[in-house]
Amino acid sequence: MLKNYFQIACKVYMRRKLFTAINLLCIVLTMVVLLVVTAILQTTFYPTGVEGKSERFLQTGTITQSSKNNTMRSPLGYKVIDQYLRKMKTVEKVAGVTGPESVSVYQKDSVNEIMMRRADAEYWQILDFKVLSGRVPVEDDVRLGRFVAVINESTAKKLFGHEAALGKKVNAGSQHFEIIGVVEDVMHLNAYADMWVPVTTFPSSQYRDQYTGDFTAMLMGKSAADLPLIKDELLQVVKQINADEPSHWEHTYLWADGKLDFFARNILSNDEVAGSGAAQLLAGVVLFMLLFMLLPALNLVNLNSGRIMERAAEIGVRKAFGASSRELVKQFVMENILLCLFGGVLGLIFTKLALIWLSNANLVPYMKVDLSFMVFVYGFAIAVVFGVFSGVIPAWKMSRLDPVLALKGTA
Amino acid sequence: MIRLENISKTYQTDKVETLALRDINLHVKKGEFVSIMGPSGCGKSTLLNLIGLLDRPGQGKIAVDGKEMKVWRDKELASFRNRTFGFIFQSFHLINDLRVIDNVELPLLYRSSSAKERRRLAEEALAKVGLSARIDHYPNQLSGGQQQRVAIARAMVGRPGVLLADEPTGNLDSRMGSEVMDIMLKLNHEGTTVVMVTHDEQQARQGGRIVRVFDGQLVA
Repeated sequence: MLKNYFQIACKVYMRRKLFTAINLLCIVLTMVVLLVVTAILQTTFYPTGVEGKSERFLQTGTITQSSKNNTMRSPLGYKVIDQYLRKMKTVEKVAGVTGPESVSVYQKDSVNEIMMRRADAEYWQILDFKVLSGRVPVEDDVRLGRFVAVINESTAKKLFGHEAALGKKVNAGSQHFEIIGVVEDVMHLNAYADMWVPVTTFPSSQYRDQYTGDFTAMLMGKSAADLPLIKDELLQVVKQINADEPSHWEHTYLWADGKLDFFARNILSNDEVAGSGAAQLLAGVVLFMLLFMLLPALNLVNLNSGRIMERAAEIGVRKAFGASSRELVKQFVMENILLCLFGGVLGLIFTKLALIWLSNANLVPYMKVDLSFMVFVYGFAIAVVFGVFSGVIPAWKMSRLDPVLALKGTA
Repeated sequence: MIRLENISKTYQTDKVETLALRDINLHVKKGEFVSIMGPSGCGKSTLLNLIGLLDRPGQGKIAVDGKEMKVWRDKELASFRNRTFGFIFQSFHLINDLRVIDNVELPLLYRSSSAKERRRLAEEALAKVGLSARIDHYPNQLSGGQQQRVAIARAMVGRPGVLLADEPTGNLDSRMGSEVMDIMLKLNHEGTTVVMVTHDEQQARQGGRIVRVFDGQLVA
């Protein structure tokens, strides 16, 4: 049966080359856009690369405090991390890191603007940086406030060309650091920067006493199963922060979220409610994808419907010899799925090329997005959905043809 | 085998209602070779389509093998048609995109049989019509007579009880027409009931019983 459908589908598509080419173009363009978006989302939100342990950690980056007439929203201060979050019983490790800030690096006769983060020692234990040479900071570097720095591969090339970066000194924002390690370039949310230095190298120790500041915290459990416990414990910790905080706000909100929730909460500004809005955001993305598929699908429906007349006699013969309407719908939908799967394979190839182009074009610094197995699965699923989506209506119309009229060729 | 009682059929085209068949009563016995004759447009093909359950009557009853066709679901009707009838059309209606063997296998696709079994039955059917050497050809590589023989092989491959042929020799020259007719007569002698629409008096006589239609009514 399938062989028969396959044979006839190939013949029909080969016979109408222009029709097939237009169909394939619709499918490939749709697939490429959807798969590039999917690949970027997957790299961003799934535990991959430097954030390979992200299924075990939550992150919290925004503290929101409110009273009757005022609301204040700010990145975390280090005091919250050091004096409250580190004492939590359900966490295995707590890391604190500042957001990337632009600093000027004076090197020989040139000045380079680079993005720098200040991090504690746990930061290097939670994230899996690939060390290309040297080492990353350890407990002692942070505790003793050593002026050491890790830079990424691109920055090493930018600052030192082909010379070895290890042991070199850099002047960043008027502070002098010794390069102790070079790591691979990374784009991930918590890892993105050109240079990392210990948190204790802040020019002033004032940061230690601040409830608000420029920090994000990562709270890692022993396993993914610990994450709900961490969230529960954090609710108690927040009550304590609210009680201790000298400004005496009525409410303090601090949420520990997975990567998707963290992103959704920030986008949707759900600062004062437990729900991050990720479900709504995902529903929105799915709706967008379906709408994006709708236009080319309608085009395909139109083109496919045009084939009805051409194949009327075949439908009449199949009906006469015992094909039910359901069988015919199955046949035509499968033909369409077959075309969409072929388009899907082409789509995957073009997606790969588009991702290579995006990486090389440097539109997003250090972006390395590749086609993973999951993206391949999504591609397959998108092709099938697209095939069914654009095939059912014409197939249903075809299957309803009166066999007598179809055989006469007057359907 | 096939019983039609008080069958009428009208067609509604725009604002005009055309009476295609009126008060038809016909009984086709098992193993009979019935030829339906009449002038063009008299309702012969409509009658054949009703017998083959491709069309529904406006009024009256149709019973096949003692089973009265009332309101059957599409799936039941399709399955019954598959097991009971084999169709031969004037313009062959072979699927040009499929090889001869695949065309012949077509009725077997809609019943539960393995690919091997389908292939075996299709090869047997093609051997019966003398086209064993053409199984991998495509229909447009064959002559008209050969194409109609393929169509006969397709019609008989599922071993239906009834063969319905709508002017099977209408598009063939006399030599090819006789070849086709011979195969149909042979099938009839082997026990298959044949109902054939034809304009050819001689071929109709070869079959045996002749039913004549005029202006939508049976006249003899």
